[in-house]
Amino acid sequence: MEYIGFIDEETSNSELYGRKGSTIIEMANIGLNVPPGFIINTKSYKLFLQESKFQDEIFEILSKEYHPKSVINISSKIKDLFLSSNIPKKIISEIRKAFHKVKEILGENPSFAVRSSANIEDSENFSFAGQAESFLNTKNLEEIMLSIRKCWASLFSPQALLYILHMKKMGVELSLLDIEIAVIIQKMINPDASGVLFTANVINNNLGEMMINSTWGLGDTITNNAIIPDVIILNKKNATILTKIIGEKEKKSVLNPEGSSTILIDMDDNLKKICSLNQLQLNKLYHLGLKLEKCMKYPQDIEWAIENDILYALQSRSITTLDS
Amino acid sequence: MEKIGEGFSCSSKTEVSGELVYIKTIEDVVNLFDSAAGKICIVDDAGITTLSPILSELVGTICTTGGPGSHLAIVSREFGIPCIMAIKLNRKNISSLNGKRVLLKHNGENKGFIYLIE
Repeated sequence: MEYIGFIDEETSNSELYGRKGSTIIEMANIGLNVPPGFIINTKSYKLFLQESKFQDEIFEILSKEYHPKSVINISSKIKDLFLSSNIPKKIISEIRKAFHKVKEILGENPSFAVRSSANIEDSENFSFAGQAESFLNTKNLEEIMLSIRKCWASLFSPQALLYILHMKKMGVELSLLDIEIAVIIQKMINPDASGVLFTANVINNNLGEMMINSTWGLGDTITNNAIIPDVIILNKKNATILTKIIGEKEKKSVLNPEGSSTILIDMDDNLKKICSLNQLQLNKLYHLGLKLEKCMKYPQDIEWAIENDILYALQSRSITTLDS
Repeated sequence: MEKIGEGFSCSSKTEVSGELVYIKTIEDVVNLFDSAAGKICIVDDAGITTLSPILSELVGTICTTGGPGSHLAIVSREFGIPCIMAIKLNRKNISSLNGKRVLLKHNGENKGFIYLIE
């Protein structure tokens, strides 16, 4: 296939699969549990832009001077262009094939996480942490096709447009047209607990410690600052717990039981008070951290989820803020 | 100086002061775009997480929820500015603090404090 790569069959290539997608492939290659799925590569995005005939229109919009107050209008105009254009037939036919192949493995009624993966996201001078779009619990082919176009359009979000203006003010000329987006489609995990694992203590830059943020349910509540998570600090030599702070975890993000997407519900009072990770799970996280740090040759910021005691690695990137 | 809140210090341990701005929507970020320099922004759990476009001009960030792994904490560290997450304020109404000058302090470890100046 020209426009799609299966996560467990490819080799990492950030030009083709974006930074995030490329890391996911690498994690699968070293034998970590990575939710199965496929990635729509950056060639698809380029072909979509070319065939949609609006590439010139976007270029014109972006080449004009724009005021910060108009970014919301500009962004929604570009988004409308994306959503009103069809995905090229060649790509649709590959997506269909890939979808049915994955569905055969996953069985009836699978659901998917659709995430964007830019070929420069997470880069040091273009900090887009948290600004890339994700569409969780996407149920069928139709929803996937829509989410793909939304992921592509998310490159032109009001935040991104503001960021470009900001960099211009700082004397750095950037163009969103130089960035390409891949789209990752993976089996949706329905986690008991999830969170973030730093293989160094990012608060005091101690490389001899690991720091975990964890909560019940999906971890988007942590990354989006919707809740106060549990914070656990481990000794990196022997995995002993150095600090454990139980967070309030007032809300829980769960898969929408009545359809697609996720919903935020009140956390059970009992669950608020107890740590969302047990000792066995902590040990698994500890070993995941050691393995990934060794493989990536640098301390990592890892997003993870646990479903039925199976630990999944969802994403990893180098910690950018450690003192050298 | 009155201490008005305490939370989890997730970034630089420098002491900073500035005008506090309560950010609720992307429109608020747009409105602050040309005057963000030297400000300290506070967001709540319902608030947006996208201060990134103006972050390098801010001197501090505060959030009523979240932790060291939240994106706001990650990007604040990237820009080297103090960030206090999961702050507990002794004020019910955050809006009443809008425009007030505040000071961010730390205990050197993981606790961060906010003081009202004057």
